Amino acid sequence: MNRVLLVVSSAACLFGMDLRGADARQIVEESQKRQQSQSQRYEGVLEVTQATGKKSSKRWTYERNGAFGESKSLLRFVAPAEVKGVALLIVNHPDRASDQWMWTPELARDRRIALQDRSTRFFGTDFSFEDLEERDLNQNDYTLLGEEAMEGKPCWKIESKPKQTKSSQYAKVVTWIRQDIYVAVKMEMYAKNELVRRLEYRKIEKMQNIWTPLELEMADLKKKSKTILKTEKLEYNTTLKPDRFTLDALRRGE
Amino acid sequence: MKLLHLISWQYTRKHGLRTVLTMVGIVLGVAVFVGMHTANQSVLVAFHKTVNRIAGATELQITAGEPGFAEEILEKVQSIPEVRVAVPVIEASINPKLKTPGNILVLAVDMTGDSSLRDYDLDDGGEAVIDDPLIFLAQPDSLMVTREFAKANGLAINSKVSMETMQGPKTFTVRGIMKSGGLTSAFGGNLAVMDVYAAQKVFGRGRRFDRIDLALQEGIGVDVGRKKLEQILGPGFQVETPAARGKQFESLSSVYGMMANLTSLFALFIGMFIIYNSFAIAVTQRRKEIGILRALGATQGQIQTLFLIESAILGLFGSVAGVALGVLIARGMARGLGDFLGEIYGVAQRADELSTDTRLLAFSLALGVLTSLIAAWIPARSAARVDPVQALQKGRYQQLTTGENRVRAVAAVVFAALAIGLAMVGGGPFFFYGGYLSAVVAALMVTPWAAVWLSWMLRPLLRLIRPVEGALAVDSLIQSPRRTSGTVAALMLSLALVISLGGLTRASYDSLNQWMSVGLNPDLFLSPSQSISDRSYHFPAEIVDQVKAIDGVRTAQGVRTVRVNYRNEPIMIVTADVAAISGEAKLPATAGLHEDMYPKAAAGEGVILSDNLANLQKLKLGEMMELESPNGPLRLPIVGIVLDYSDQKGTVLIDRKVYMEKWKDDTYNVIRIYLKPGADVVTVRQALLERFSSGLKVFVFTNKDIRDYVVKITDQWFGLTYIQLAVAVLVAVLGIVNTLTVSITDRRRELGVLQAVGALRNQIRQTVWLEAIAIGLVGLALGLGLGAIALYYSLEFTARDFAGMRLEYKYPWAMAAFLLPVILGSALLAAIGPAESAVRGSLVEALEYE
Amino acid sequence: MIELTGVQKHFEGKKRVTALAGVNLKIEKGEMVALVGPSGSGKSTLLNLIGGLDRPTAGDIRLDGQLLSGLNDDDLTRVRRDKIGFIFQFFNLLPTLSCIENVALPLHLRNWPSTKIRERALELLGLVNLNHRLDHLPEELSGGERQRVAIARALSVYPPVLLADEPTGNLDSATGAEILKLMRDVNERLGATVLVVTHDRGVADSCSRQISLRDGLVIEDLRRENVRK
Repeated sequence: MNRVLLVVSSAACLFGMDLRGADARQIVEESQKRQQSQSQRYEGVLEVTQATGKKSSKRWTYERNGAFGESKSLLRFVAPAEVKGVALLIVNHPDRASDQWMWTPELARDRRIALQDRSTRFFGTDFSFEDLEERDLNQNDYTLLGEEAMEGKPCWKIESKPKQTKSSQYAKVVTWIRQDIYVAVKMEMYAKNELVRRLEYRKIEKMQNIWTPLELEMADLKKKSKTILKTEKLEYNTTLKPDRFTLDALRRGE
Repeated sequence: MKLLHLISWQYTRKHGLRTVLTMVGIVLGVAVFVGMHTANQSVLVAFHKTVNRIAGATELQITAGEPGFAEEILEKVQSIPEVRVAVPVIEASINPKLKTPGNILVLAVDMTGDSSLRDYDLDDGGEAVIDDPLIFLAQPDSLMVTREFAKANGLAINSKVSMETMQGPKTFTVRGIMKSGGLTSAFGGNLAVMDVYAAQKVFGRGRRFDRIDLALQEGIGVDVGRKKLEQILGPGFQVETPAARGKQFESLSSVYGMMANLTSLFALFIGMFIIYNSFAIAVTQRRKEIGILRALGATQGQIQTLFLIESAILGLFGSVAGVALGVLIARGMARGLGDFLGEIYGVAQRADELSTDTRLLAFSLALGVLTSLIAAWIPARSAARVDPVQALQKGRYQQLTTGENRVRAVAAVVFAALAIGLAMVGGGPFFFYGGYLSAVVAALMVTPWAAVWLSWMLRPLLRLIRPVEGALAVDSLIQSPRRTSGTVAALMLSLALVISLGGLTRASYDSLNQWMSVGLNPDLFLSPSQSISDRSYHFPAEIVDQVKAIDGVRTAQGVRTVRVNYRNEPIMIVTADVAAISGEAKLPATAGLHEDMYPKAAAGEGVILSDNLANLQKLKLGEMMELESPNGPLRLPIVGIVLDYSDQKGTVLIDRKVYMEKWKDDTYNVIRIYLKPGADVVTVRQALLERFSSGLKVFVFTNKDIRDYVVKITDQWFGLTYIQLAVAVLVAVLGIVNTLTVSITDRRRELGVLQAVGALRNQIRQTVWLEAIAIGLVGLALGLGLGAIALYYSLEFTARDFAGMRLEYKYPWAMAAFLLPVILGSALLAAIGPAESAVRGSLVEALEYE
Repeated sequence: MIELTGVQKHFEGKKRVTALAGVNLKIEKGEMVALVGPSGSGKSTLLNLIGGLDRPTAGDIRLDGQLLSGLNDDDLTRVRRDKIGFIFQFFNLLPTLSCIENVALPLHLRNWPSTKIRERALELLGLVNLNHRLDHLPEELSGGERQRVAIARALSVYPPVLLADEPTGNLDSATGAEILKLMRDVNERLGATVLVVTHDRGVADSCSRQISLRDGLVIEDLRRENVRK
């Protein structure tokens, strides 16, 4: 199971075979397959609401290129002015954790986001750095827990646990996948036995033939804060030059 | 106990003033001991606290001496499976010039991951302390301060704070305020957190870190983790627990602790003589009383116990007062010590609260009581041996018995011979300190005899001044060697200390001046910080050429000084283009030849040590010196040893090429600038300031500035030792007061007779004053003499165990000349009270007095 | 020469002790007076008051017409050193000074030039027959010799008044007689007024006037013409 949140479409949209009662892994695989796109681009608005009710918002552009699990993505803030130009480059690897670099134009230098820091919050949002990476199908074990309707739509309830080879901050994740369109609508992340984050997918629309949620809400249940991400100008399969997704390009601030 | 109350209390009450004076020696000794140690302790505790608070969940810290290490090391460490989290750190102590005086500690960390080690968000409300983490990282001027610091300086989120940076003064923005607790109480709350990558720029560190803080995976022991890290990183790195870092600081301040011990032991030692003196007097004065007690059936043991208990009580009261006084003075001392260590070693710490150690206090009490007991031992024993029959007879009893004299004389000769013998044997510390001790003991043994002899010598002189008063004053000394010798010994010891320190000081200044005139000959110095010894900021490599291009500059040499560990001692590496440096300044060699050592060092074929490093580490010309670096060990032969007083722990001169290769550090922290003949210092200084007015932060010092600074630091160092002098002289003067108080009691009849046969009050006063002068003169003569010997030993001590510096023996005549009026003046001052009480009181009683 | 009017002396302590209860006395120049009485009768106190070593609680003392009670300590000392010589029972010689130094002591205190001091000291020691003991310390002398030195010291400036407190009290009778003879010599040859406090009948009998005290009052004042020589 992936935890691709910002890679909006790839969440878990599976089509095709009727896999009712089928193996959980196959459901997830199908969801990924339906989600597949060569590239993706959108502008996002990020709104963080703290427990005290204080709100702050930022805008970024997001670009992703390559096959799921080994794609590269680039995230660049555009507003507010203090953070304009700050960028994050993610290079996913199917067999291991992604590489992530951050670029700060004011300092004119990049820094590596260390593996150890992936569980920390992503720049004050309720996402962690780990939530940004793509996780290959084979890196988890899946169990079908049952079926449950979400907002009137029947869903599979699937539990995924990370394999030893690739550790995660989460001990398990429970995902609800709509049986009609193979799109995940809700995820609950557990650290040890405690529910720590809840992610909801909303405004699921068909974009360029891919069912895509246009709004996400991530709630940090410990901090009691939540982050809403709204996507705009979403495009699939646009032409993006691969050399945009390199460390050099990051440093050039393109 | 009844006996004690009946006998001792009555006596004590009658001699209240004297009891107090006697106690003062103990009070001062204990106070200095408690004060200096508490101050030292407080600074250490403050430092440990800061280290621990800052450490948070850090289990191990990786350092590579002052130069730090390249960024790549971080990834290497992070990739080790045993390591759960490893974060880079840069620490600097800077002065932000705010309401709160003094420096603040800037802790620069990688904010993305650091929260797993250090908890910045201590409020349970869950509100992020940093207003917006992304902005904090995106803007290099972001700063997070503690709530206390913000409050004290009226800062809020988005307030501006100005700080010196490598690009000149720069305005920072407060983007986070830490809630109270844990981390925020480090460094007395004067703490600011910033982004480590921003700090690299601000402090000119390049792509380097000072330190890596790390925590291990669960279940991995600290020792296991440490071994693994050491094995991977190699010997150029130190992997230590945060607590162990405090140890290094302790070694820096250990010299001060030693000083504290010496001073207080000295004060106690002198105090001991005063107590001995008082008790010896009391025993003679109370001889009759003791005789009666013995006649009534008191045993020898009871008498001895009586006096010992008396002294223990005296010691206890004195110690309690001393502890209280010590705690009082500790705060001021702690501040001074903090500043001093900060200035000399550039180690950031602040002791804002005193940490009083109960064990230290208990120990001090015990020390005071023990001193008092030891001092009273001999008088108590002689009290026990009082013969009741003789005691009840009238007569004179002050003179020393010939037997006593002979024992002393023999002991003095034996110890003197021992001292000379040991000095000639030389060698190990046992011989050295044994010799010193023997010399002092010999001097003490000879004191009573010497005091009498000197008094005889003085008699004609004083007779000439005042035929009756003078002669009688001296006679009083001659008649009562027991009364006088304790005080004379105390005075002798303190003066010997003054002379030896004075000589040491003078020799140090002489050597420093000599060194400065040879080694510190550039016309101007360029530094990235206001203090030449501060190494928080560095210059980039290209600065040397930029300086050379300035009009009026003949040549410029970049120097980088860094402290590194060598055999667990923090020694100083001085690195520069040796060929260029030696062209301008060659330091006097103590081993090796200039023509040989500088070319070899310049070629990277050897290192040149400072004389003190060679002495302290017992290194010799031609030996191999091995220094650990982050890129493997550096092994080079010692090609020369020169006189260089740059650092107390010693310096090693290494050519820049070698240093850069091993430490990958191409920065400078001082540029030495030589001007063209005829170029004006002021003009060039201005040109330099203008050249770097935008871009780099520079401070230009003239040659005189630097010399003044060196002298100031040295002054500060010796300033500490002057406390010692003040205490010693004060205690000795108190001894004079004590002795005179007793003397006028002893001489009461004599003074009465004088008045009866027509002496005016002034003539009586004069005889008391003259007695004080005589004590002063005798003490001076003995003290200045013993000082000559003590100076020899302090110079040896300096060379051997302390700073490793060989200093020339020069008797401080000027100081001796200065002491003459000071001591005689103090003696006169001490005599005022006793002289006044001598002219008061009933003549009739005095004439009947026995 | 010496005139006392209503002289009282009380010692304040835990209990008030009356040493002199009101003494009126007139002693003429050249008299040799013995003060006698039991212990505590006030005779030594009287001597000390006359000598200016102490001050009376009430009453006036005149010495050579000068009122002592009006003087400050130093002026009192000046009167004492010019007009009075003291002789004590225990001699009160300074043990560290030689005979000649002891004798010279009052002269030094008067800042006489040293040649004159030596001249006078030798003269005085001749007077008491001790020329052969000039440089001896007191402890090297016999009791009689010590008292002779003390007398020489008391005579150093040839004072008009000589006060002696039990001068023979610490001496055997033969030596005592010798000292007494010396004192009478001084009285007769130098014309000094001599006051002797004594327990010794013999001493008292050899004086021209004998004043008895008891409980601080003069109870008897005898003058006799035929003094035992």
